[in-house]
This record gives sequence, structure tokens and C-alpha cells, in this order.
Amino acid sequence: MKIRTGKAERLADEELMPRIGEKDPDAFEVFYDRHGGVAYSLAYRIVGERGAAEDVVQEAFISIWRSGARYDRARGSVRSWMLGIVRNRAIDFLRSKAGRAPKLDFDDDAILEHRPAEERTDAEALRRETAHELRGALGELPGDQSKVIELAYFGGFSHSEIAAMLGVPLGTVKGRMRLGLEKIRGELAEGLA
Amino acid sequence: MNETEHDRWRDELSAYLLGALEPGEAADLERHVAGCEECREELRWLRPAVQVLPETVESVEPPAELRARLLEQVRSEAKGSEAASGSRQATPRRQWLRLRPLAGLAAVALIAAAVGAYAISDGGSEGGGATTVVSGHSPDVTAQMVRQGETGTLRLANLHPLPRGKVLQAWVRRGTRVVSAKALFEPNSDGTATATIDNMDGVNTVMVTTEPRGGSTQPTSAPIVSVPMPN
Repeated sequence: MKIRTGKAERLADEELMPRIGEKDPDAFEVFYDRHGGVAYSLAYRIVGERGAAEDVVQEAFISIWRSGARYDRARGSVRSWMLGIVRNRAIDFLRSKAGRAPKLDFDDDAILEHRPAEERTDAEALRRETAHELRGALGELPGDQSKVIELAYFGGFSHSEIAAMLGVPLGTVKGRMRLGLEKIRGELAEGLA
Repeated sequence: MNETEHDRWRDELSAYLLGALEPGEAADLERHVAGCEECREELRWLRPAVQVLPETVESVEPPAELRARLLEQVRSEAKGSEAASGSRQATPRRQWLRLRPLAGLAAVALIAAAVGAYAISDGGSEGGGATTVVSGHSPDVTAQMVRQGETGTLRLANLHPLPRGKVLQAWVRRGTRVVSAKALFEPNSDGTATATIDNMDGVNTVMVTTEPRGGSTQPTSAPIVSVPMPN
């Protein structure tokens, strides 16, 4: 059943996905208008080139358009799923450009990890945090912790690659990752703890 | 399981969530987590710290052209066209920019090793005004510039494939000033390409250079072809 954009705008992401699975371009348009900005920002943050970021976002959203029917609302938020797809493609672009073997594949279903319902609630609540506050939480980390997190998440490097890059033992890298994530988690809304 | 071994797994959780484990390591961890309630709880607690990372990036406005391309593609596919079913790959920007081969281009007599210009009858075509055809060349590339009114169409042949990350960019020279014609394109598989120049007013020369993907604000390489325009 086709719906008009006006009606689609009132639907939650999880309600849009079945429509997208039915190849409703109006639902896709609403979906892109909601998330295209953060998707492009993430892609640009990772690949560092506007043209490549466009390619990444285009490929990711076309993948979602073609696989929307496979989205399972019981397995995670649409936004996290979408951002995972964007990150995968951006990291793959980076690794290909650098002559590194792709570490990630394009199995978007793999991003839909099994998670309990209360965790999805957490994720949705987190979206209400302002980007400024979130950047603050990351910015307050000691530099050695934020560096390993950024190299892994935005750079697509493995922990062993990061260890070699920084000239520190592998265990040190893992420890910094853990300390950093624990601190970010601790800075997030206390109600989510 | 003793405490030391469990601690080892716990140290892997953050790297796992950040996608920093090698595939084999991640599979090992997943097997452990499947049977370890404590690690599952740790993952559940830590995961939001990774989920917020995309939200921390500085906001960058996506270009309107990206939205237009996406919507154009999905609306085309939504129509259930045969073309959509024949191609299951996303159309990246670089392919979208690639123009279709010119029908009958082979039949066009492109003048190599010479530059000439002539006016031909506009015939019955709409728009009025004479059509000017100019042909030029470089050692390898053959070019034909067709101007009708203020619009020009540049047709190239014998182009070589571009290095990865490069595009062709058209430029126009007016007097001593060279500006981008805002036309980025790539060769077709048969070595041909076309580009549209919207404003030919006062143009002395049309040039094409190889530029980094996304284009440049000024030429960064020598022209692969240069077509002088008659005044």
C-alpha cells in the first residue's frame, strides 16, 4: 500500500521500514530526511572527503532501500542499524583506499545483533542527549583513551594495528578502550545506568 | 572458569564493541559471551557508549544533489521498471555522473590534427539560433564542441580510463580568466564522454583537465584537451 509523504512523516522509523520494504519512495524520502544528515556527517568524519562521503551514503541508503524488508524491529533501533551500515561502508572505503584488506563485509543483517528490548529503550533514550553533550563526554576523556577509540571506531583499525601504530602493547590498547568506553558510559544519563 | 581467564574476555569486550577485533577473535568472543551472563550484562551496559559515537561527530550538511540522486533512483526502482530488475547494484555518484555514450558518435567525423569551426543550419530544431560546431584535439583525445545559443555540448573520444579517485572537469576561459564550467564527468567504457556547458557567453576556450574526485576550484593539471571557440 502506498502512503503519501505527509502521512509517512507521522510514522516512527520502525513503522517506515516495512513501507520501505514495500518499495514506497515516500517512506524512503522521510527516512532519508530524518537520518541523511547524521549519516553524511558520520561518513564524512570517517572518509574525510565529501565526494567519497556521498558515495558511502548513497550506497548505504540504496542498500537500505533494497533490504528494508529485512529489518527486524525486535533486533534494534533503525537509526543504529542505519549508522552501522554507513560506518561499515565508510570503513571499507578507507581500508580499500589504504590498500588494507577489508575487515568488514556488507552483511547488514550482522548489524542487527540480538538485543533485549530494554536495551533498545536505552538507545532511544540516548538519542535525546544533545550532540554537544555527547561530544563533551568524548572530549573529556584522557587523550590516550579517546585516541584508541577514535582510531578503532572512526579509523577502522584493529586493536593490533593500533598497538603497532602507537608503539604500545596490545593489552594497553585494550585497557584504554575499556577505560574510555566505561567513562563515556558513565557520563551518559544516569537513568540509563 | 577462573577469574583471570574471565578478566581476559572482559578486556576484549570494548574492542569487540568498537569493531577492533579481528574476525576470528570476534567469533571466539561471541562463543564465550553466549555462555557467560556476566559478559552479556557487561556488553549490554557498555554498548550505548559506542552507539553514541556517531552522534558526536560535527554536523555536516549533505549536498542537495545527494538527496535528489537517491530519490530519483528509488522512485525509478519503485516503478518496477525492467531496468531496475536488471541492475541490483547501487549506482554510486561516479556512475551517475557518467553520461551515456553518444548514439552514432562513431559516425561523427571528428577532425584530428586541426581545429575548425563552421555554422550549420539550425534546421527545424527548436530554440532558434545558429549551431556552431568546433572540433579540436590533443595528442590522444578528440573533441567536438557543439554550441547552440548559450549552451554548449562537449563531446570527447579516445579517452583513457581515469586513475582511481579522479574525474574530468570542464573549464571555460574568458579572456585571461579560467573558471570551472561546473561539469564533472568520467569516460564511458568506450572512451567517449560528453559534458554540458551552460553558459558559453564570451567563452574563448573550453578545456578539460583531470582533477581529484569532487572537482577543483582551479585546474590542477594540464588540459587533456583544449577547444578554441570562434568569436
